[in-house]
Amino acid sequence: MATTTESKSREEAPARVIQFSRIDAGAFPFLLIFPAVLVILLVIAFPLLYSLYVSFTPYELLRPNSLNFTWGRALRNYQKLLNDAIFWRSLGNTVIFLAVSVNLSYLISLALSQLMARVTMGQSLLRTLLMAPMMFAPILVGMQFRWFFNANVGLVNNVLLALGLIQEQGQIAWLVDVPLGMITIIIASIWMNIPVLTIILLAGTLSLPRETFEAAEVDGASGWQKFRFITFPLLAPFSYIALTIMSLDIARAFDIVRIMTDGGPARRTEMLWTYITRLAIEDTKFGLGSAMSWITVLLSVLFTLYFFRQLVKARIVQ
Amino acid sequence: MTRKLFLLVLALALASAVAVSAQSAQDEAQYAGLDMDLSGITIKMANIGGGQYEAMYDAISVFEEATGATVEIVALLDGFAIDQKMKVDFATGAADYDVSWDHTSFVAQYTPFLLPLQDYFSEEELAPFSPAILDAATIDGNLYLIPRHADISPIHYRADLYNDEAIAAAYMEATGEELTVPSTLEQIDRQARFFVDNGHAALGYTLAGKEEALTGRFYEMHFASGGSLFDENYEPTFNDEIGVAVAELLAGWYADGIIPSDTTSLLWDGVAQYFCNNDVAIKLEWYGWYAYFQDADSCAVAGNFGLARGFTGLSVGGDAVRPSGWAGAHAFSVPATAPNPQAGVQLIKFLSSERVAYEEAQLGFLPTRGDVWDRVIADASGADNPLDRERLELARIQVGEDFKTPPLIAEWIPFSNIFYPHLQAIILGDVSAQEGLDAAAAETREMMADAGY
Repeated sequence: MATTTESKSREEAPARVIQFSRIDAGAFPFLLIFPAVLVILLVIAFPLLYSLYVSFTPYELLRPNSLNFTWGRALRNYQKLLNDAIFWRSLGNTVIFLAVSVNLSYLISLALSQLMARVTMGQSLLRTLLMAPMMFAPILVGMQFRWFFNANVGLVNNVLLALGLIQEQGQIAWLVDVPLGMITIIIASIWMNIPVLTIILLAGTLSLPRETFEAAEVDGASGWQKFRFITFPLLAPFSYIALTIMSLDIARAFDIVRIMTDGGPARRTEMLWTYITRLAIEDTKFGLGSAMSWITVLLSVLFTLYFFRQLVKARIVQ
Repeated sequence: MTRKLFLLVLALALASAVAVSAQSAQDEAQYAGLDMDLSGITIKMANIGGGQYEAMYDAISVFEEATGATVEIVALLDGFAIDQKMKVDFATGAADYDVSWDHTSFVAQYTPFLLPLQDYFSEEELAPFSPAILDAATIDGNLYLIPRHADISPIHYRADLYNDEAIAAAYMEATGEELTVPSTLEQIDRQARFFVDNGHAALGYTLAGKEEALTGRFYEMHFASGGSLFDENYEPTFNDEIGVAVAELLAGWYADGIIPSDTTSLLWDGVAQYFCNNDVAIKLEWYGWYAYFQDADSCAVAGNFGLARGFTGLSVGGDAVRPSGWAGAHAFSVPATAPNPQAGVQLIKFLSSERVAYEEAQLGFLPTRGDVWDRVIADASGADNPLDRERLELARIQVGEDFKTPPLIAEWIPFSNIFYPHLQAIILGDVSAQEGLDAAAAETREMMADAGY
């Protein structure tokens, strides 16, 4: 019986080969990637397009009938946002946060990477220690820094109090005062960003050709000159990759902001993410929240395009 | 003859044993909702969880055994998370559970998705519940929830400050009035300032300073002063003379260091921490923190505080001033899409029964049933600390007479999210009280118009 089945299969096999061979060779690769494309379309493209559709409707979660597109009010959410002072304030705060946090993170990481590149002993231990902040979820980082900067029982005020730099009655409201609220959030964000940036820049530094540095040393270049005219320009592709990753990843800071100040007080640290959450999740205004999310996406795309163009330029120069 | 006498004595003994047993059964708190055969039915429940909230659900095995039903708890989440889950489930039609969590502050936004319960409960069954809470749960004539336990805020004050003759004399000299536990906002203002200015307390007062907690405290001060957030047409009225006076009071307290410098970052736990540390003279605080404050291992204020009924508001409100009493009650509801609504109702009857409610009240929650109040107050009579009983007696008065929910509109939380940042700006001195409240009123008007008011 088994023998009969095997011989039957052998007879059928050539027929299958013939069927495959009928597929156009040009279409074959597309057939292979079709399942992956289908999954991506379902998982990524559909929700994105759906949220774009929702952004043109007055949809509120607890009013299911409001998920209703009409040409007359299609742009109402976008018009509303453009006339919304809180939106512009949130956008301004987000840009300030992004610019300061990313640039300062980069500068500190650049310095750290140069120092670490010179370490000859215990480099593995240093790298492991450096990676420690990456092991914390952003929400934990937020909680940790909120405690550090708590006016009543926080670490920072207690240290300042112990050193006699402030009085019991004059404890600093770190998370409240302007611009301390924003500064504390930026500090927490930088602490979280530094490991990734430093590792990328350290890898870049260690991969630079030694010959160039040796030639510069023969010519009598100082340490600063070697950094300014060799290391920094040659690191440009790594820098742009790191900055692109950081700019796209900065939305991870949402958890930190949410936990530390939640955009307050009095919207002093309100950012696009906290405002979107308030509108879409707490107030259930999904239409308005989606419109704001799409504006955020467009801004992120612009930032990324800028960094990619700089990256391409840097590579052409090299 | 002896035999007859013996039989008579035996009969009397038996009869009295039966009577005593019947009496003791009557004295014992009773379950409800066990009178229906629900064999083969699975009742799903999504409810609040965490900490002591979950102790009540242990009793469900009694319900299962008596009715034959199986109860499946599909979600036990904290207040914020269960609210989010329910909103999403209601919006997508996925609320396939028979019993859900509810709250008097949130019920208005859920009503299109809930089953009216008045036809499932007889007058007799509803009679033990606080009428004020049932009123708060009735919207357009429909009863949407059955209360589980409540909370409301009395004044908490540091007892040492009021028992010190030297401080009392100094206060009399400074203000010309006797130092008594405050009953009005103006008294609180005068006393809080006196305690701080004279170094008797680090802080005169505290309050939660963000989110719905801040909106609620303003709402409370405003209505205690005779005001109302909205008029009958839902036009904002919180920027009236009373609202401005309340906002100016808060801004003045912040500017003068009467309340903490990080007030606008504080929620309930942060506020409680200040009082726990013995740093605050007076505050309005939920009863729910009582056990924490009385724990000498955790709190310096343990054994050194007293309680009083909520304050009446500012005299700018004239004759309309009334006691504060922003309150809320956790509760049970039945989603309109429940597969087994009658079985869900039976489970609610059980969970809100005298026996289960009494067992939960023994954990420190404030009951919503009169019969349970009687029991817990009687139990507290033998407590070492007389404040245990005074607290319950006071709480019963407040829940019965002062219980006041926020406006029963679905837009309460969106309104709060508009309002509290403006109030924070006023407190921090960024804008004047009138300017800030007017801006909040303008935004609220737009939001209410969008919502169809």
